[in-house]
Amino acid sequence: MRASIKVSGILLLLIAMTGCVAHSRYNWCDYDTKMYSHYKNPAQREAFVQGLKEIIEEAEPEGKVPPGIYAEYGFALYEEGNHQEAIAYFKKEADKWPESRVFMTKLIAIAGNRAHAQKENAEASPETLMHAEKDRQKSSAEGLK
Amino acid sequence: MKKITFLFLIAVLFALGGCAHKELNKQDKFLSAAPRSILIVPVVNNSIDVTAADYMLSTLTVPLAERGYYVFPINAVKRVLEDDGLADSSLVHTAPTSKLANLFGADVVLYVVVERWDARYAVLQTTTTVAVYYQIRDGKTDELLWDNRVQMVYTPDAGSPGAGGGAAGLIAHLVVKAVVAAVEKAAPNYMPLARQANSRAFLYYPGDGIPPGPYVTAESQKN
Repeated sequence: MRASIKVSGILLLLIAMTGCVAHSRYNWCDYDTKMYSHYKNPAQREAFVQGLKEIIEEAEPEGKVPPGIYAEYGFALYEEGNHQEAIAYFKKEADKWPESRVFMTKLIAIAGNRAHAQKENAEASPETLMHAEKDRQKSSAEGLK
Repeated sequence: MKKITFLFLIAVLFALGGCAHKELNKQDKFLSAAPRSILIVPVVNNSIDVTAADYMLSTLTVPLAERGYYVFPINAVKRVLEDDGLADSSLVHTAPTSKLANLFGADVVLYVVVERWDARYAVLQTTTTVAVYYQIRDGKTDELLWDNRVQMVYTPDAGSPGAGGGAAGLIAHLVVKAVVAAVEKAAPNYMPLARQANSRAFLYYPGDGIPPGPYVTAESQKN
């Protein structure tokens, strides 16, 4: 029994030590487990986005960021509505991996349009909202007639 | 005498060359297409296990990137396809490869179909039988460049009884096995199974796997 406690202790230590160490070309930092958790629990978005960020933070200093990770993180930011930062990561992916350029150019354009629309909405919103409110009142008044 | 040895050596070399050539046939088309990038599209699941497709999709990127290819971001690709009206993976699999490849600028497309994924639960161990079919098609010509089918039976490992434990050790081992089996039944973890299936499909080379990609070959040329 004592031996098995010792063994499980060593196992735990080993698991803790292997946390984010790269044994290969790239530092994946549990990428596949993170992806699966995201598909299994899509509601835990924050953990997913954070998990992608963690891969970049761990792998970037040693130059071992795997292909697709900047883009994946950028896309997650885009879905969060953070279009400007998303574009920065799409550009990073395109710079590092020439194979990604066609796709990244498209994503940069889409995110750019959204960012533009967001900005216009923000500037125009008081007026538009007021118009919308007037229209609503008008139509409901008409509806009553 | 020397001449005969020499001729014999040449004959042996020819024979060996012939063998090697035959073995490489499976990858000839793949090698001449020389892809740099692989687009992984969502997995089709024809098995009875609803989680099988997610396990497979999550685990395909790592072995292919480590093999030396650029691999497109699976989740971004999945979401873009959904926005394009291709939320159903079987629709994606029937769309022309060249159309998909064009959309993302990919050299080739990887299609994975889970054909079978059945778990059988018993007190001491759970065995899962899987069959997965992998296909890589050319992004320009739609042509099949490589395929492989992996069939395997997987049992989560509870280790083996320690030597010299005697009857007590054996009982302890059986308890561990039963616990592993119970945990597996309550919350199966198919990550190791999915990784194993992918390694079998991709990594045997020469054999039926995928040739090393540009990021691996560039490095070996440098050395």
